[in-house]
Amino acid sequence: MDLTTLGGQLLGIIPLGDIVLYVTTFNLFMSVAALVFTVLIAMSRTEKQVEAQFGTLNDREKKVSKDEFKIRRFLSIICGIATAGAMITGDLFNFTLFVTLIGIVNIGIVSAVKEVDVLDSAFQYGIIAMLATLPLFGGAALILGTTGTLSMLEIVNIPTTAMMLFGSILLFIGVAGESGVAPFFATKAEMFRTAGSPFLVIIHLSSLLVIVRAIEILLIINKPF
Amino acid sequence: MRLGRLWNSLATPKNIPKVFSVILAIALMAGFVVPLTYDVNQLYLKPAPQAQVDDKDPFAPYNRGGSVLEEPATYISQYPQFAEKAGFITSYLSPIAIGVSQTTLYFGTSILSSPGGVIDEILYYSRGFDTILESSIMLMATIIASWVALHFTMRRKEEE
Repeated sequence: MDLTTLGGQLLGIIPLGDIVLYVTTFNLFMSVAALVFTVLIAMSRTEKQVEAQFGTLNDREKKVSKDEFKIRRFLSIICGIATAGAMITGDLFNFTLFVTLIGIVNIGIVSAVKEVDVLDSAFQYGIIAMLATLPLFGGAALILGTTGTLSMLEIVNIPTTAMMLFGSILLFIGVAGESGVAPFFATKAEMFRTAGSPFLVIIHLSSLLVIVRAIEILLIINKPF
Repeated sequence: MRLGRLWNSLATPKNIPKVFSVILAIALMAGFVVPLTYDVNQLYLKPAPQAQVDDKDPFAPYNRGGSVLEEPATYISQYPQFAEKAGFITSYLSPIAIGVSQTTLYFGTSILSSPGGVIDEILYYSRGFDTILESSIMLMATIIASWVALHFTMRRKEEE
């Protein structure tokens, strides 16, 4: 299995020294989708939530203050750019760095909220994101040790060993922790119970795209077919 | 009914770090039985352990030799065609780095030096993009921490 079987036609590479970003049809589509979505988010305003209060006829409006809006928009844009970068990167360590950046920015988007429950679950998510850096970078380091390279364009030609399989399992645990997919979704699900919808959606989108890309990378490393 | 209880506990944010760490611990334990393989043709070489430390080199274990713009440092690139000038700026030190390296023998291993520190940018010319990303991760962390500290999202009593 090579890169073109997985991603379609190889459209080109972006060489940055040893870090070579490669563009296939599939990667390009995901990357552009992330960027387009980021632009839409950068232009949009937040939603407002209105809650009926118990015992009175009043409503409680949850608004996003201007300061909060600004920092969340900024972090969302960074998150979108990092997602787009993670889609087209052709270097394993580069990918782990993009995933870490997405993880930390996700915490940031939520930590600007002034709601106790949301902050509590953001704290728990932060702990997982911190724990996840160990398998994430550890997995990449094991693969570097076994293959002697980090470039996916080279790894795809190297026969898989047990150590590479183990490294990629660790890498996947790391990505799962950073992006908060099942069975670690509860912290992220709780984080969304707040106002400010478009910024929360980029958290969803980034973890979704990152997990798809991580699976592609696992296939590149392990070559099961 | 046991399964239902398990799902319920998975839906509680407080339990998730525990679940994650248990899964991680099991995976790491499995690492003990995985046969080790090591490729001797490593791209990012380091000298033998302690060799540079014993020489009282302040840049240990990161000294790659060479001098700026004159003589390339010891260097292997994955794609030499994309890194023609590799090694020529590897030994560059900023004035701060020169100052620190003259005061201590442990410059190379101190937290000041790496990652994202004063020595990091000279490590791998060909992996410059990683350095940018590492520093931006730290920058984001600083931005978030300072925003939270300035706006007191942790001041909980007001909210109640």
